[in-house]
Amino acid sequence: MAKRDSQVVDVRARAEATRARVPQDVMGILSGQEVTLRQMIRQTVGRHHVTIQYPEQRKPYSRRFRGVHVLTQRQDGSLKCTACYLCETVCPAECITIEAKEVSAPGIEKGPARYEIDLSRCIFCGLCVEACPEEALIMSREYDLTARSRGPESLRYGIKELTERPEIAAYGSGFRPHMQYPLVESYLPLTARPAAAAQPPAKRSKRR
Amino acid sequence: MPLVTVDGQQIEVEPGATIIQAADRLGVEIPRFCYHPDLRPEGNCRMCLVQVEGFARLVVACATPVTDGMVVSSPHTSAETAEAVQGVLEFLLINHPLDCPICDQAGECSLQDFYMHPDYGLHTSQVDVVEKVRKRKRIELGPRIVLDSERCVMCSRCVRFSADISGLAELQFIHRGNRVELIAFEDRALEDPYAGNLADLCPVGALTSRDFRFRRRVWHLAHTDSVCAGCSTGCNLRIDHAENRIERLVPRRNPAVNSSWICDEGRLSYLRANGPDRLSQPLLSGGEEVAWPDGIRHAQELLATDDASGTRPLLALASASATNESLLLFKHLVTRAFPHHRLDFRLSQETDLVGARQDHLLRRWDKHPNTMGAFYLGFSEQPGGLDDYLQAAEAGDCVALVLLYYPPLVGDELPPVAAALARLLELCPHSVVLTTHRLPYLKGASLSLPVAAWAEEEGTYTNYQGTVQHSAKATEPPGAAREATAVLADLLHTFTNHRPSTAPEVLFAELEHTVAAYRGLDYQHLPSRLASVYPPEGRMHYGEEGFSGR
Repeated sequence: MAKRDSQVVDVRARAEATRARVPQDVMGILSGQEVTLRQMIRQTVGRHHVTIQYPEQRKPYSRRFRGVHVLTQRQDGSLKCTACYLCETVCPAECITIEAKEVSAPGIEKGPARYEIDLSRCIFCGLCVEACPEEALIMSREYDLTARSRGPESLRYGIKELTERPEIAAYGSGFRPHMQYPLVESYLPLTARPAAAAQPPAKRSKRR
Repeated sequence: MPLVTVDGQQIEVEPGATIIQAADRLGVEIPRFCYHPDLRPEGNCRMCLVQVEGFARLVVACATPVTDGMVVSSPHTSAETAEAVQGVLEFLLINHPLDCPICDQAGECSLQDFYMHPDYGLHTSQVDVVEKVRKRKRIELGPRIVLDSERCVMCSRCVRFSADISGLAELQFIHRGNRVELIAFEDRALEDPYAGNLADLCPVGALTSRDFRFRRRVWHLAHTDSVCAGCSTGCNLRIDHAENRIERLVPRRNPAVNSSWICDEGRLSYLRANGPDRLSQPLLSGGEEVAWPDGIRHAQELLATDDASGTRPLLALASASATNESLLLFKHLVTRAFPHHRLDFRLSQETDLVGARQDHLLRRWDKHPNTMGAFYLGFSEQPGGLDDYLQAAEAGDCVALVLLYYPPLVGDELPPVAAALARLLELCPHSVVLTTHRLPYLKGASLSLPVAAWAEEEGTYTNYQGTVQHSAKATEPPGAAREATAVLADLLHTFTNHRPSTAPEVLFAELEHTVAAYRGLDYQHLPSRLASVYPPEGRMHYGEEGFSGR
């Protein structure tokens, strides 16, 4: 590396130049605070809120939001799932576990004995829903998930949790591959309780 | 010898060979449903149509013998053939129920694979079906097989198997045209002890296994090539397993041993190893479980006999269900550590029964896979065997006994053998038993050491013909159980201060060197390793470990 030439700095001149810029800098700060002040007045007096009081207040999400999964049911309440394992096969996070069993209903041979999604491992990509040939698995708009342990009360949701949880009805249905068509021949806990859907439940108090 | 050209590749085949056989040898894949190398050709499915130069029409490759100078084009190279094959597929799929999501054959289904083939599949149907012809579904034909006649492609492989191979002729077609249906008379249960093969034979999901039904999707299975240890025939088979559990056994084709078949008892023999009554910790006679170092120490204390005169020798008995490698180490242990010993493998009449047929096809009465192996290793002396040991023990001449015992994978142990073993253990004050299960008739052992069962250890068996076959390790033994070779190596180390290698190839090299009948055999190239499942899989290329790699 070539040796640099030393530079002579006029310290006095530099100090004076700095002093001359002071009013300009103060104005800069004040103009910034003006933005803050304006927003403060807008949001308190003018009631134009950017933030909301979560979790008491929640924002509406897209109809195609990919939230917690729902297992849909036939009219008689049995699961539409035939345990074909396509969702388990396609799942990139390997969070779906299925065990099949023989079903003796007329025209139906196979169903899930166990259907588990480990939501703590799920990446909510929606590939399972796209793979499902029966629209037996769709997604809801439920997005806030908490669990108190990795054990029994964990986010490993089984058939019961994926069909009967009141939160599913409250948040409404989310992504499924053929959204332009209504769900065929399905009973959904989502549609059963339209009144509950208007107001999402305050989750088990998080600020205890 | 006729010289035939298939898709530009030339091969010389023996006179009378068919085009499909020549193509198979060249590795040219001709689609087929009804052809099977171990069944008589029928030529009914028309999937194997090929073009032959100089012939006015397409011919079926499965039933046309080659002539010298024949030039054949498969659907991979001939557009006319591809169109014909596509037409056949299109007809088959008109009334196919397409219930692949719940069909156990999905993933290894010929119809699926052929439809997905870029050369002759992926057509758009020209037939606009309003309503498909419905047939009967879920008909349980006995304890092994479920019939779904909607999925059937009428290839008649099962009909020919039932008529020609098992000889019971239990299946037949009825009706005509698109209403043809496969039936068993009055839906009676199949009595065929080889009925399980129908599920393997069926190229689609019409005949599926009841045992494997809905257990797994086939693409989640890992495959390990092995041989059956159910009897002295040693049928070549493939172990399909997932998450350290064997899920099913399917036969591999070895014309010298089992063609493409296995018996139903052998097919279900994995259930014994999967069972809940496995021994998983070294066990003292009082029922106390101990760790391995203590177990080996106890074994040393129990077996250390001070028999200088040789009147009360160590009795050593290893059942002929052990691998050749385990038997070799067992022999080393007994001969090197105990100058006065008796060594045998006969629990009952193995040497007389080893070749005795139980039926016209595969099953043999000797339910030990390695009787010939034990015989070649020189385990038997005259007189000897369990009965002779028992006589010695009754006379008070048993001070120590070491037993390597595997319960039969097919059926239960013969009652006289079980009773004799129980009595022998009762009479011998010091007994060490290496076994796989908690067996009521081995309760009297002073010490039980858990060893790996079949499919949990690698090794070789010598079948009734004297053919050495390779048995592979597919799953891990339960709990603290270890391969018998490892346990025997530990014992050898304790008694002789020398630890032998337990690597199967090293042990087999020693066998090859010492046993005259094995001279020149190469462990890596035993004939059983060349057998493969028919029809060959891998068209979809899911990879060795299954689709998701589990």
